[in-house]
Amino acid sequence: MKKTFTINISGTVFHIEEDAYEVLQKYLINLKNHFGSSEEGKEILTDIEARIAEIFIEKAANDQRVVSIEMVNVAIEIMGTPEDFVDDEEKEEVYQPTEEAKRKRRLYRDPDHRVIGGVCGGLGAYFNMDPVILRIIFVVLLFATSGAGFLAYIILWIAVPKAKILHSGSK
Amino acid sequence: MKIENAKAQMRKGVLEYCILLVLDGKPLYASDIIQGLKEAKMIVVEGTLYPLLTRLKNTGFLAYRWEESTQGPPRKYYELTDSGRKFLGELEESWSELVEAVAKVRNNNI
Repeated sequence: MKKTFTINISGTVFHIEEDAYEVLQKYLINLKNHFGSSEEGKEILTDIEARIAEIFIEKAANDQRVVSIEMVNVAIEIMGTPEDFVDDEEKEEVYQPTEEAKRKRRLYRDPDHRVIGGVCGGLGAYFNMDPVILRIIFVVLLFATSGAGFLAYIILWIAVPKAKILHSGSK
Repeated sequence: MKIENAKAQMRKGVLEYCILLVLDGKPLYASDIIQGLKEAKMIVVEGTLYPLLTRLKNTGFLAYRWEESTQGPPRKYYELTDSGRKFLGELEESWSELVEAVAKVRNNNI
């Protein structure tokens, strides 16, 4: 026995099985994120949904309009995932950091964003996080670990070199 | 540069041209367009086509009308507009030029 939901795709009502529903919903959200919420993106999504409805009707056994996980997978295979579109469209625009760039990323203390030693500012730049959040974590650690967090900070202060030239990321 | 990537780039360049070619003379539904392009191995998944159709329509090269369907939601039938036909003519010209140029370079072994 399987639970089904009732959904409406492009004006057609379907009964969709629970597992199929989850896969379909995830797929449609993926597409939505890929095409964006502009007028154009919405129109593309509407067209794709209409086509999916059509595929379901084609594949449904007689007039039942029950959508199974197999049918959802068939539809996704026919339509393709956003990764497939990127393959066809804009692969060259996807930025991939080179090995060299990865190697050059090192942890520094950030003297321009310092409160005490610049450790949190530097960590923030390294992990691409707001240093304020890191400072709060450190303060919490300070109380939670009764001093070990403070020791960790001091060690980082000594061990991590001060940045001489700041990269463009930090203002 | 990987060969797959180079192939995708080449396909991308001529895909719009192919869509306009397929639509030349007869209004078609997206699935029909895909059928032709799939047979020619121009595209693999249908999802690639919809953004291109919408973009070509928004540029004014394509127009569509709704047609009722017996198998589900109404379908969009796309057709070339006048400016689309003109654009196709220009593309055809530059395509032949390109093919000729490549053939020349290949034969001369410069």
